[in-house]
Amino acid sequence: MPHMKSNLHTWSVSLSLTLAAGLLAGCASGVQNPRGVSVTEMRPDERGFVAGTGVESQDLVRVADKMARGILGVPQVTRAQGTPRVVLDPVVNETRFPINKDIFLTRIRAQLNSQASGKVIFLARDRMTALERERDLKRSGQVTSGSDPNVVEFKGADFFLTGKLSSLTTRTSKGVSDYVLYTFQLIDARTSDIVWEGFEEIKKQGLEDAVYR
Amino acid sequence: MSNVPPTPLAKWLAVASLVLSTGCATYTGDPAANSASPTTAPTAPRRDQVLWSYRNAALAMRAGRFDQAKTELEEALSRLGGIYGPDKAAASARSLFNEEAKKNFIGEPYERVMAYYYRAILYWMDGEPDNARACFRTGQLLDSDAENKTYAGDYALLDYLDGFACVKLAADGSDAFARAQSHTRSTPLPPYSPRANVLFFVEFGNGPLKYAAGQYREQLRFREGNSSVKSAVIRVGGQTLPAPAYDDLYFQASTRGGRVMDHILAGKAQFKAGANSIGDVAIISGAVLASHQKRRSNADEIGAGLLLFGLASKLVSAATTPTADTRCWENLPGHLSFTAAELLPGQHTATIEFLNAVGAPHRVKTATFIVQPGRDTVVFLSDR
Repeated sequence: MPHMKSNLHTWSVSLSLTLAAGLLAGCASGVQNPRGVSVTEMRPDERGFVAGTGVESQDLVRVADKMARGILGVPQVTRAQGTPRVVLDPVVNETRFPINKDIFLTRIRAQLNSQASGKVIFLARDRMTALERERDLKRSGQVTSGSDPNVVEFKGADFFLTGKLSSLTTRTSKGVSDYVLYTFQLIDARTSDIVWEGFEEIKKQGLEDAVYR
Repeated sequence: MSNVPPTPLAKWLAVASLVLSTGCATYTGDPAANSASPTTAPTAPRRDQVLWSYRNAALAMRAGRFDQAKTELEEALSRLGGIYGPDKAAASARSLFNEEAKKNFIGEPYERVMAYYYRAILYWMDGEPDNARACFRTGQLLDSDAENKTYAGDYALLDYLDGFACVKLAADGSDAFARAQSHTRSTPLPPYSPRANVLFFVEFGNGPLKYAAGQYREQLRFREGNSSVKSAVIRVGGQTLPAPAYDDLYFQASTRGGRVMDHILAGKAQFKAGANSIGDVAIISGAVLASHQKRRSNADEIGAGLLLFGLASKLVSAATTPTADTRCWENLPGHLSFTAAELLPGQHTATIEFLNAVGAPHRVKTATFIVQPGRDTVVFLSDR
């Protein structure tokens, strides 16, 4: 009997330990990265581990780089009498991805302003309301003015820079394929000539896990 | 009642029961069951966060809290857009011993479509019809991989509004309009009015609900939401604008055909049934062998082995969970409608009558809005 009692004790201790371990494992399971994932700083032109088939930062950088280089090679810009002035006209988004459209033109403008300063000048037409208010304050004498405020000094555009994003999408049981065509144009404001057009095309494919299909 | 002192095993079982009942049971996994207190998406379990964002977005839309709706939908849609490739939660949901609800919820296609539909309304409200159009297009795409191709990508309003946005952006909307007309089941859609500057997005009725059917609740099914409201009419600025049901979410949910996941769940159910039957056979055979032979014979040992195998098989069967995921965006509307009007700039009050099947008003609401010159005014109307 003592031998049997000892066996029962050993058995119950083993069972307790096994099941306790199981319980702990059970409580812990299903929680991925319980301590979180530390922030990873990435270059904007590299593909991150969080990705979709839509327009992403690496596409923006790639497209804007190519367009900025293209604009600087346009003869009408490089050989212009005086520095050509450019106005940004909003990009048309025809894709299936809602995006902040202005971000492309902002990136192109910033790149040209920072790397090719003086070759083109961008006009701040998106700030016209504030600029006109300031001019009116000067005209009314409410604020000081360094020059005659009644002379029109707002510059007109020599060129318009604009673009369009178009896409083709295929969705089958094998996944989703998204092709996006980015086209940008530099338009002569006087003649409406398209003096330059650049494009970039990016295709991405992805497939969801079967549980989402 | 005996006075036998508890054995160590009994004590252990009591402690284990206590741990089991308190340690892990902080969340049931069913958001509906946990809805006694208001839950915001960030505090919900990770796998239900999109679901709560959906629900909160719908509530915010109806309460006119459009900024909150935008935040909730952005949160949900950013997760929707990044579900490609390996996913640990999804892999877990595919395993034999986990239920489908282990996966991160993103919803069935009709739920995902509605997230994009609401976001599109908000984009248009913010003066971005091209981004609204992008959402309508993605919504239609999400419905395009249905098993039953007859009903793939067949939301009438999504194509109609895609075309309307094109017209507003001085592009050609005729193809989208033609597609939209081919999707309508009862009422034809009106031609576009490029001069219309007030857009009424109308929803009414109750959306579809999910339930699990089958021997092991492995089949996802949809139940139509009950509602007396079948159509609507808007009266504003001397105009009467009919707003019939152009899209029916129950129809959209129930006509897609099977999911890929249904095949996985069917496989799990088959395995569960098979393991259970094998267990039954092994236990009965083992019991028969063990009881009808002489003690300490080979048959006795084989019988014991069969018994153990049968028990193991029954355990595996019991642990297999083919249950379909019935988490549901249950505060969706049943029907979607749209109409547009040309109104002068300034303040207007619209009266909307939600009508029952015989055309009698079931509920009447009013909406006051200001029409801004030079841009579209978007009015969102719900019967709730």
